[in-house]
Amino acid sequence: MATVANYANIFVRYDLISSGEAKGAKVSSKDAALQKVLQCVLEGDSDNIEAAVNEALASKDPMTVINEGLIKGMNEVSRLWDEGVYYLPQAIVASDAMLKGLEICEKKLGKSLEKKGTVITHTAEGDIHDLGQKIVNALLRANGFEVVDLGKDVPVDEVVAAVKKYNPVMLTGTALMTTTMTAFERISNRLTKDGYATPFVCGGGAVSLEYVTGYNLGIYGKDASQAPGMASDAVNGLSWSQLREKWNS
Amino acid sequence: MPKFEKMAYASSDEMIFGTAKNPVKYGRDFTVGGGYVFPELVPHPRPGTEATKKTLVKEYEKMVTDVLDRCVAIGIPGIQIELEHVYQMTRNPDWGGEIAAETKRLQEEYYRKFGLKSAIRATIADYRKPDEEDIRNSVALENMLKTFETSAAGGADNLSIESVGGKEISDYTIVRQDIRGTLFGIGVLGSRDMEFMWKKVVEIANKYGATPGGDTNCAQANVAMFMAGGYQDRSVPHTFAALTRAIAAARTLVAYEQGAKGPTKDCGYEDVIIKAITGNPISMEGKTCACAHSDLLGNLVAACCDLWSNEAVEYHDMFGGTTVAVFTEILGYDVALMNTAIEMGHAKILKELMVQSDKYRDTHGFILCPENAYEIGKAIVSNNTSYYARARAAAIKAGELMLGDSNLQMSAFEKESLQSAMRTLESLPDKEEDFISECADIYKKLIPGFTLANYGL
Repeated sequence: MATVANYANIFVRYDLISSGEAKGAKVSSKDAALQKVLQCVLEGDSDNIEAAVNEALASKDPMTVINEGLIKGMNEVSRLWDEGVYYLPQAIVASDAMLKGLEICEKKLGKSLEKKGTVITHTAEGDIHDLGQKIVNALLRANGFEVVDLGKDVPVDEVVAAVKKYNPVMLTGTALMTTTMTAFERISNRLTKDGYATPFVCGGGAVSLEYVTGYNLGIYGKDASQAPGMASDAVNGLSWSQLREKWNS
Repeated sequence: MPKFEKMAYASSDEMIFGTAKNPVKYGRDFTVGGGYVFPELVPHPRPGTEATKKTLVKEYEKMVTDVLDRCVAIGIPGIQIELEHVYQMTRNPDWGGEIAAETKRLQEEYYRKFGLKSAIRATIADYRKPDEEDIRNSVALENMLKTFETSAAGGADNLSIESVGGKEISDYTIVRQDIRGTLFGIGVLGSRDMEFMWKKVVEIANKYGATPGGDTNCAQANVAMFMAGGYQDRSVPHTFAALTRAIAAARTLVAYEQGAKGPTKDCGYEDVIIKAITGNPISMEGKTCACAHSDLLGNLVAACCDLWSNEAVEYHDMFGGTTVAVFTEILGYDVALMNTAIEMGHAKILKELMVQSDKYRDTHGFILCPENAYEIGKAIVSNNTSYYARARAAAIKAGELMLGDSNLQMSAFEKESLQSAMRTLESLPDKEEDFISECADIYKKLIPGFTLANYGL
């Protein structure tokens, strides 16, 4: 049997272009204790973050540990992810570590940090595929949002009731199947009829821009990583139609 | 407990598209793995048609008619149609049954008029929620089993499922690149749930004279593969997804140990390993499923197929007809080429062309090319002391193969991900009970609702 002498005319490994350069974290702290906190976040080290944070809290006030260690580290993780150095798992385990550290600092503070806003997330009625929603939850929490997680296979009535109860800055819906995403339009109709203008970001699996922009409130979420940016825009006062214009045009 | 102790084939060279050691015959003069490849067309209803039974049955009637019409228009000798249940078809068992009956009526009509060979696969939707309910005693399970019965009674020839056991663990671990948890979720919990589920499916199939088809690790290994995505995606390392696939093979094998006969479920990319071990016919999907999702092994994955599928295509109009008709034609010509190669004695050459097209395109195609799939199969049957042991052995073998072939290029990040996972795999306990105990302690704390009782532990 003949062999292939040159694969370059069969496929091109575009993933290997520039992939050899190791681009590490650019942030650091002169304080040894804060550096340990920073390092735990950058490495997603949930096993050691507790000890590192407690060590830092022995000499620093909680807000310093939060701002100079936890948030600084998470911001750097976001940069590395945006630049393609980190993959999603590195961002997720970093957020796990960051949130664990934050909890310790908040205990010491005696109160929770003020959240940027509340976002309700859910997976459509009839759909048990909630992995995308879980990623959205993790990224929103790591970016300072309060998340009301309604879970998967959530009836339309429950979603509408939750919006009325929490009055969130944003609602998200995840669906894998086209035949379950139709619940989104029913939610939109109910909320619109009752006078709510909550931006409703929908995404996942077979959900399409064409479908989501076909009903009021709908903004298409192409990727989970967009969720914190969209929620920030909602907090800053962008209406659902302005969000759609910005993210879906 | 694991049962397969040896390989069905003496070597991967023996494995070829169109022929399986254990062909399956059912439907209307339809034989799978008996020497030729047939298309398997999977139609998907438009959103909104699931609103009522009447609209959904009508939608299927139109889709199936379009498929059969295209077959007789261009001369396709035979076809399997998969009724891959949308939630509503399983949630309402009579819906699934009626759609199977209508599909059978239409297939019989075309068989009578034209002699078109045909069969029906019904794939029941697994909508159990492992982190919220007792998955061995829930309303969802009850409906699923009822729908297997109504589908078989309605005329489904092949009963299949995409079961979700262990998904609550793997959803957490795949996005954290945690190979230990992924091995636990798929290799141990998934396998145990398969044993539970497939005893019941086989019993129902036997009761109605249907064939217990197969299962797929769509809910887990496909999640990893889809998240790994293309060359520019950064969600899950491709090397990690490939390890997940090897683990999935050990898990999917359980269906055949419980009595499933195949043809296997089309989206089970691990099925080439299953064929190597069991000799059962397999349904595969590749370039023809780009309508549903992308992959990096579009040609290679056809090398050993017995049915060639499109995964799922939503029903719409195209210039060339409706989508289901168009994909029937694409599948039909693909299998015509394979069957021409068989008739002219060139099947091995075509197989090799398919393999070389994608073997080094990506890690997934690399581990699933027949020779590597065969090696992973051997690792599974040689380590059959427990579900855990064989799944771990499959992953380690896949990792060794990826690291051992210099033609398989990978970025420094991908290589480090693989080496890190290999270090973890090699450090794990030897005994299944020790591994379960270790993982139970860890994941009970991390995953709300996770309970060992769902897996008979």
